[in-house]
Amino acid sequence: MPKLIKLIDGATQFAENTFVNVADEDAIPDVGDVILSLTRFQAEGDALLSSNSRRVGVRIEPAEEVEALAYDLPRLSVVALAFPKYRDGRAYTSARLLRERFKYQGEIRAVGDVLQEQAGFMVRVGFDAFEPNDGATPEAWAKAANRFRHVYQRAVDARPIAADERAQQKEGAL
Amino acid sequence: MKAVTANRLIDGEVVFWKEGAWVDGFGDAQLFDDAQGEEVEAAVAAGKAAPTVIVDPYPIDLITVEGLGLAPVSYRERIRALGPTNELLHGKQAEGGAVVEAIRHASGAARSTGRVDLIRRK
Amino acid sequence: MYQYDVIDREFLTDRSNEFRHQVARRLAGDLTEDQFKPLRLMNGLYLQLHAYMLRVAIPYGSLNARQARRLAWIARTYDKGYGHMTTRQNVQFNWIKLKDAPDILDALAEVDLHAIQTSGNCIRNTTADPYAGATAEEIDDPRVWSEVIRQWSTLHPEFSYLPRKFKIAITGALTDRAAVKVHDIGLILRRARDGSLGFEVIVGGGQGRTPYVGPTIKQHLPASSLLSYLEAVLRVYNRHGRRDNIYKARIKILVAALGAEEFGRQVEEEWAKIDQGRADLGDLELARIRGAFAQTPFETLPARSEAFEAAKAASPSLARFARNNVKPHKKPGYAIVEVSLKAIGQTPGDATADQLDVVADLAERYGLDDLRVTHAQNLVLPHIKLDDLPAVHAILEANGLATANIDLVSDIIACPGLDYCALANARAIPIAQDIAKTFADPDRAETIGELKIKISGCINACGHHHVAHIGILGVDKKGEEFYQLSLGGSGAEDATIGKILGPALPADKVAPAIDTLVDTYLAARQGEERFLDTYRRVGLEPFKEAVYAQAD
Repeated sequence: MPKLIKLIDGATQFAENTFVNVADEDAIPDVGDVILSLTRFQAEGDALLSSNSRRVGVRIEPAEEVEALAYDLPRLSVVALAFPKYRDGRAYTSARLLRERFKYQGEIRAVGDVLQEQAGFMVRVGFDAFEPNDGATPEAWAKAANRFRHVYQRAVDARPIAADERAQQKEGAL
Repeated sequence: MKAVTANRLIDGEVVFWKEGAWVDGFGDAQLFDDAQGEEVEAAVAAGKAAPTVIVDPYPIDLITVEGLGLAPVSYRERIRALGPTNELLHGKQAEGGAVVEAIRHASGAARSTGRVDLIRRK
Repeated sequence: MYQYDVIDREFLTDRSNEFRHQVARRLAGDLTEDQFKPLRLMNGLYLQLHAYMLRVAIPYGSLNARQARRLAWIARTYDKGYGHMTTRQNVQFNWIKLKDAPDILDALAEVDLHAIQTSGNCIRNTTADPYAGATAEEIDDPRVWSEVIRQWSTLHPEFSYLPRKFKIAITGALTDRAAVKVHDIGLILRRARDGSLGFEVIVGGGQGRTPYVGPTIKQHLPASSLLSYLEAVLRVYNRHGRRDNIYKARIKILVAALGAEEFGRQVEEEWAKIDQGRADLGDLELARIRGAFAQTPFETLPARSEAFEAAKAASPSLARFARNNVKPHKKPGYAIVEVSLKAIGQTPGDATADQLDVVADLAERYGLDDLRVTHAQNLVLPHIKLDDLPAVHAILEANGLATANIDLVSDIIACPGLDYCALANARAIPIAQDIAKTFADPDRAETIGELKIKISGCINACGHHHVAHIGILGVDKKGEEFYQLSLGGSGAEDATIGKILGPALPADKVAPAIDTLVDTYLAARQGEERFLDTYRRVGLEPFKEAVYAQAD
């Protein structure tokens, strides 16, 4: 079981994973936080959310579109975006849309084939929780995520892009 | 006949299995006859078990070049064992010698395109 | 030319350090080959037949003398003394060791060069017209927009793991020297009736297994909206491009499956949802980039150079060079000079370290420190004074660089093929050498006129055979090298996919078959027709009959 790393206020740290990832063939535990597949959530999520105080998350596979969650997002504590293979890049778009288009405030978690090589990209498109399967520590994760001092394109994070830095330099020089 | 080949991780050099080690020259490769399938598999497995040394080990088929020695059956493997045919001093072929001549002869001299009937690949 | 600033340079340093770290982890066994391969590919490093191959990006094909000299130095220090120009305006080194790769990237970064995204399923190096900033037919300088895209696409957090590689090409001229219609995205700069600058956007062209001439999905995209629109195209592709089959993963397959109209509609729908003010580059940054390219210090010169005219009259070889390799420049008294890397019998596109140094010296001394790489695997000195042409020609000639064959029959494009490439089915270089020798007579080559022969060693079509006047594809036929000929393709503004002539031929029959095709063309030619024109008029049949009748 990969350890959970969270990005809180710009710092990465190990965090306790309170959520149980419920496979489609398994029963939902009576109590506790759960992450369900999209299909399962669409069938049973409503009842779970209204019947008790537990937190609910949804696991989205790459072929599934986050638009399907549009109306449920305010009630979701976690959206777990799956990387069946780390070369499958659809979850980057999903994360970005969740943040930019749907203004989702909850946790976006990277699960599956999650490597520190992707850390920088993931943080930039709005992921804030990671289950690395390469054994990366929070320190390694933070180092990988912050390896580049500059970025060239706007994303979800508020980092100034190269053009902003240049404009500031110019202003400073005047 | 068969040999086992791979590329070395650190420099990409073409190498061949020889009794527990990986050597650079095709002429030094350990030869396996058709009855030694298990030994071939063991050599491939040894390569796979050394992923920080070797990339992608696999067996290749060899043929006899009349009077000269052995050559890989496939044209691709001949080029790997020699070097590129447009630069005859680049790669393993630069050393020259009987082994190189045997492979070149098998392909009808590497620059010639006149003997494609001899070109056979795995 | 655009100059990297401290931001660009620190970025390259960070990238180089990242790769050094990844190589160390691979060698220590912390990364498997499967995990490492995509990482090294995104730094241009392939494992080929004999060694690693490093593909260095030449953004929009543009180099200065210092950069060219550094490439020469790398060729001498880490390779076997030469580099290979590719059909995507990159430079490849064929004999690289993994352990040296991080040092090489450092050496490149010192002169503002890199290998970022020269492979992998990401947005590749953007290519552009090699005559940019020099040709009179230009509507706008494509390097400005290529640089905008270079920055935007570099380590793009959303689009670095696309279904498949993604190639963008830009031209600002009506004559297409960048093959924009056979790229994932082709951009043609245009002015609208009201004078506003924009792009015709072509999406889903490509070669490979399933060649397409790309359809236009937007006639006039306002130039300032380029990045938001690209974001929309890439997002639709990233979400909906196929990932189940590598051969169907390029955007051309998605565009063909949906139809250009529906694909365009989806892009428009996505584009409308994007915060364009945020996605597009501000005017200040655009002006900064534009300014960097606008500062070429041309002199005011007479349109005619008496020195050049006299030298030309006295030297048949200079006159031939002038006819074939010297192209008109937008400024009076200047010329664009093509430096052929297709000397008869040479490996197409290879330049030795010494030759790179020579061309770097010429660029510095005579050419405003500007040098280009073309997709036809040649070099260009884009700003040479007519007065200096005799001197430049003499130096080129002394270094085996004055072959006067641009766009002629011996100016053959060839991929590295089975001599180097792990993907190839057959060799390409020896076939090119055979053909060039067949047409070694320069008078005959000039009589034949423009004839673009392009050779690929496998169906991936790095040698652009689909869009050749005569295309040659190496195939593996029961373990033998065979070559399939196709006719009538074009990668230019009249882009067309060639038609297969007939059954594949063995290697030794290829050059004679080309000879027959040329004779057939010359016999049927009317007036000043090019091979392609004659083919379009008379069709495939006469050529087919001639080649296969002789083969029997």
